[in-house]
Amino acid sequence: MRSERYIPYLLVLPSVIFLLFLFAWPLVEALLLSIRGSEGWTLEHFQRMAADLYFKDAVKYTVLLAVVVVPLQVILALCMAMLLGGISKGRDLFLYVWTIPLGISDLAAGIAWLAIFTERGYLNSFLQALGLIQEPRLWLSYETPAMLFLAVVAAEVWRATAIVLVILVAGLQLIPKEYNEAAEVFGATPWRRFWKVTLPLLMPSLQVALILRTILALEVFAVVVALGGRNLPVLAGEAYFWYNAYQNPGVAAAYSVLILGISVLATLLYLRLMRPRQEVAA
Amino acid sequence: MAGIRVENIVKLFGRVKALNGVSLEVRDQEFVVLLGPSGCGKTTLLRIIAGLEHAESGRVFIGDRDVTALPPRSRKIAMVFQNYAVFPHLTVFENIAFGLRMQKALPERLRAQVERAATLMHIENLLERYPAQLSGGQRQRVAVARALAVEPEVLLMDEPLSNLDALLRLEMRAELKRLLAESRTTTLYVTHDQVEAMSLADRIAVMNAGRVVQYDEPMKVYQEPADTFVGGFIGSPPMNFLRLPVEGSQARIQSLTLELPSSPPGKDVLLGVRPEDLEAHLEPQPQSFPARVLVVEPLGSHLLLTLAYEQQQLKVTVPPDFAAKSGQTLWLRPQPGRLRWLDPASGQSLTHARQA
Repeated sequence: MRSERYIPYLLVLPSVIFLLFLFAWPLVEALLLSIRGSEGWTLEHFQRMAADLYFKDAVKYTVLLAVVVVPLQVILALCMAMLLGGISKGRDLFLYVWTIPLGISDLAAGIAWLAIFTERGYLNSFLQALGLIQEPRLWLSYETPAMLFLAVVAAEVWRATAIVLVILVAGLQLIPKEYNEAAEVFGATPWRRFWKVTLPLLMPSLQVALILRTILALEVFAVVVALGGRNLPVLAGEAYFWYNAYQNPGVAAAYSVLILGISVLATLLYLRLMRPRQEVAA
Repeated sequence: MAGIRVENIVKLFGRVKALNGVSLEVRDQEFVVLLGPSGCGKTTLLRIIAGLEHAESGRVFIGDRDVTALPPRSRKIAMVFQNYAVFPHLTVFENIAFGLRMQKALPERLRAQVERAATLMHIENLLERYPAQLSGGQRQRVAVARALAVEPEVLLMDEPLSNLDALLRLEMRAELKRLLAESRTTTLYVTHDQVEAMSLADRIAVMNAGRVVQYDEPMKVYQEPADTFVGGFIGSPPMNFLRLPVEGSQARIQSLTLELPSSPPGKDVLLGVRPEDLEAHLEPQPQSFPARVLVVEPLGSHLLLTLAYEQQQLKVTVPPDFAAKSGQTLWLRPQPGRLRWLDPASGQSLTHARQA
């Protein structure tokens, strides 16, 4: 009996060691890196980061991308999940097709969309064939930041909506069907059933999806780099350039800490705003 | 208020015929219980009346309205679900008010109706709570209050007491009976619990294998079952069925002969008799037959005896002070006027025409 008590701990130990070694330790290292200079503690890395030419744009575009992409993905995934709920035959087929992008790495996804938007890409060929443009247009240059931004939004929505969809489909299946039936019997139209019953009961799943997607959106990197290089600066990209091109781990670490800070803030905000009402009352 | 009428409902689940041409009429202000074993189609029938399922054929009327093609929200019904389906994200007040909000009721009417329904169910002090803060019995009360608040033409209840523990169920049963006797709402109530059915119903529709096999007042269903299924399903212990040889217009149990109401189609006939309708004696009596005691079970209010007559077993209840031992022979006198005669081949009663 006594020895069995240790078995659960023994079983989780490998993963705990793995996480401590590959996540917690680097995290602490990055934190230290960002606030330690040649002569002890310092804020110089943060000051240098903030003074950099790209910094403001990187913050702007990272936040803007998250603010545009995440709601789009959630709304789209919610519509898709509700549509799936209305299909009885062939439902799994739709689900599998819709989740195909999940199996593609973000860099590969970025390159696929580059093939569409590049000068000799599919979009230009298509528009030329239709006679809408005479010669190839540049979509992804520093002169067309709006178009570049839209291309990244399109690629991100295509690539990562499926993960939200999977979470919401699972969440919808957890809602007992009696709630909807009760609402139906007591006079609710499909539209009101969605707003009054399905959506509130889906809140826990929505919360998970939002937190997950927001954190990942704040770390957006490969798709942006593939499509725009540094023409559309983002925080994770800056961390990469400072570490690789400028050989300055201190500023790179400062960027990482900033991303971490925004992520934690966003998560806390979601947790607070989307708290189940029963707990508020209790 | 309104009655309910269903005509020739057929419902298939894949190849299984869940309902096999069911017709049923519930009068205005009547309390009807659909009673049957699991899988008999009673819940399916209720859900078809609610509009939550669609029948392959047949029609549903509420009052004079043909509601067959209408969605549930247009049927002017209310329903109490087996697992209550009380919305966890709404307070008790908002749960009870749900149907009224959907009807866009005026605030004064809404508040008055909610308070009236909550008071009827004795939950007026819980209105600000969330369902997670309630016990199972309290949630059950919220579900009933939500249904009463909309003042429906028809109230549908799907095994509303089956998730409560035994003591609470007894209490709620009596309360429901009082409540619905007061409000006189036409009610269709599904249960597999025969005691619940007997206690609540104005009429019981006994269902088996997708059909209504008998539809009558509780005592009639109990005393005059239409067939062996009804006799065996209702009553605890169930009705005894003894297979007896026929001589002319009489059936014979050893020296005892009993008149038959009509001559049966075969050489044998089934005698249906309730355990309390056999009077047990220690000594031979006129108008009785002998049976050997196999088991004696003291059940507090009475003794339950299992006896053997020739190769057939039967159950008899006797007063608790009755001196019976296993192995003993008792003399059983059937109560005249309490006997049912059935055809052993079909199981149908000889005197009762089959319903539906």
